Amino acid sequence: MREKPEEGILKVKSILEKYPKERRFLLAILQDIQKTYNYLPREALNEVRDYLGIPLSSLYSMATFYKALSLKPKGRYVIKVCDGTACHIRGSLDIVEEIKKQLSISPGEVTKDGKFSLETVNCLGSCALAPVMVINDKYYGNLKPAMVKDILESTGD
Amino acid sequence: MKVIIDDKEFEAEYGEYILDVARRNGIHIPTLCHSDTVPGQGSCRLCIVEVYERGKNKVVVSCLYPITGEIKVYTNSEKIHRMRRNIIRLLAARAPGSEYIKKLKEEYGIPEETRFIVDEKEKCVLCGLCVKACEKLGSMAISTVNRGATKKVAPPFEEPPVDCIGCASCAHVCPTGAIEVRECKGKRVIWNRTFELLKCTSCGRYFITREQYEYMKNRLGIDMKELLCDRCRQKSTAEKLVSLYKKLLV
Repeated sequence: MREKPEEGILKVKSILEKYPKERRFLLAILQDIQKTYNYLPREALNEVRDYLGIPLSSLYSMATFYKALSLKPKGRYVIKVCDGTACHIRGSLDIVEEIKKQLSISPGEVTKDGKFSLETVNCLGSCALAPVMVINDKYYGNLKPAMVKDILESTGD
Repeated sequence: MKVIIDDKEFEAEYGEYILDVARRNGIHIPTLCHSDTVPGQGSCRLCIVEVYERGKNKVVVSCLYPITGEIKVYTNSEKIHRMRRNIIRLLAARAPGSEYIKKLKEEYGIPEETRFIVDEKEKCVLCGLCVKACEKLGSMAISTVNRGATKKVAPPFEEPPVDCIGCASCAHVCPTGAIEVRECKGKRVIWNRTFELLKCTSCGRYFITREQYEYMKNRLGIDMKELLCDRCRQKSTAEKLVSLYKKLLV
């Protein structure tokens, strides 16, 4: 569940306590923070900087390098639509269009209620299921635009 | 240790880099990302040379290739020239705004780029020299952000950097002049942050930012009673030496 950073700064502290003060744990720490808040709040990055004694520039560098880390809040459900070669030729863009229509968000955006965010990815490694998308950890293969509405409606808290 | 560069024989120390030996002997190898103060980048690939070692030949970057045996080096063979042309073409596509790259383009006779859509003003070739300089200096205010096509050098959150001391080492070391520094009326603007400049107590020239001065004082433990610019400090040291010698001679 996502929380407001002010309320959650204690959580950052408890994440940090699990790790020794060494630079090599930076990525693991950032992943844990990402998991807790669905993004990396700025306050949390400042905490990490103070804890590990690493300059903010290095943190920012890493946070922008990995796709798994995000500096903007993501939805509680992250929709990843595959746009790899196999999915692309089997109509992944139609799927994206349908999701855009249903949720009125573009790739990289979050719905107003914070439930969904949409991303396109380059390959999910399930080309036999093309076109494929994954919502959090659940895969949906052999998609047709008509199926999107039902899937989105059945995805709930 | 003997090394043959472009059919001429030179002396080299074990482990010395080809580029250093070549430069010492007046052989020109073009470079972008090489700086004597922050060596070991090897990212621009402009300094490639052909090396013949133990009957095999290979293309290496001369700035990072240590001489460990008797080798023959060709700095401008037909193969190198062809490869270097391609590298310059790509660099020019990436950073068409750079004067230095424009010159290289002319020198190597590279036609205007038509295939790639580029930002005409871009000067940065992403060699990372500025980041390394900032790191070496210890303030680590800038870093490379994002990756792939959107990679660039920027301060955290792309805001005026808090950790920056305004020393402008990044701009100084940049081979393509991609980092903008403006100075006027006792102020220096770099990375969109404005720094107050301090005057040399001897000649009255603005030469250092307040943050830079504080940094030297606090973190390096250098306490300067008088604030002297490089030129005045050299002069004052020389004068001190002169008076010392005079005393000794008397």
